[in-house]
Amino acid sequence: METLHPLTPEQLARAEDRLLHPVRGSQIEAASNQGIDLTLLVEQLRLTPAERAKKLERASTVLEQVRGIANRHS
Amino acid sequence: MQFETAVQTLFDAEVEFVVIGGLSATFHGSARGTYVLDICYSRTSANLRRLTAALAPFHPRPRGFPAGLPFVWDEATLRNGTIFTLQTDIGEIDLLAEVKGLGTFDDVKKHSIVVEAFDRKIATFDLPGLIRAKRAAGREKDLSDVAELESLREASEP
Repeated sequence: METLHPLTPEQLARAEDRLLHPVRGSQIEAASNQGIDLTLLVEQLRLTPAERAKKLERASTVLEQVRGIANRHS
Repeated sequence: MQFETAVQTLFDAEVEFVVIGGLSATFHGSARGTYVLDICYSRTSANLRRLTAALAPFHPRPRGFPAGLPFVWDEATLRNGTIFTLQTDIGEIDLLAEVKGLGTFDDVKKHSIVVEAFDRKIATFDLPGLIRAKRAAGREKDLSDVAELESLREASEP
């Protein structure tokens, strides 16, 4: 089974360029037109997959605390 | 959702599973949040035993299930269904024996890769597999996810 590795500096530079300067007619341009914030994807790609997962866990914890507060006040 | 605890628990119990859904998207670079762990699991008897034993300490119950009604969490319960949306002490965990657009665990495994996260080497969807599953799911949210994932695929192409 293949392994999902962090992007190499070359791969990251290429991905950043594509995301920040979408080619006309590309999937990236279509996503941008749908309102997807491509700068957030750049930030994510700068992290390793493990770092992305840790970040999600932290965000999820905060989200659940907010949900708990909202539920108590509803 | 305590993703780390859940993933490590399943891995250490030798449960055969593939991480799918939002966490898989995060591994690939999605910026969207989720508070549910989605996994596809093997329905072999041995695996169902491992899965029920691994999650039992976290008191799993179906989400939205009436509090007063008894719910038995065991191999027989798992054998009688293919989708379980659970609330546990460590958060919400969805168990799927089959994934729309891909098939059973064995099919899903063919579309998976290994990722190092939470100090373990775990199986998760590869990006094409994840996109295929999201497309097949077809909900508005899933289709919006597809646009983001297609961008990540295009950005990462050689």
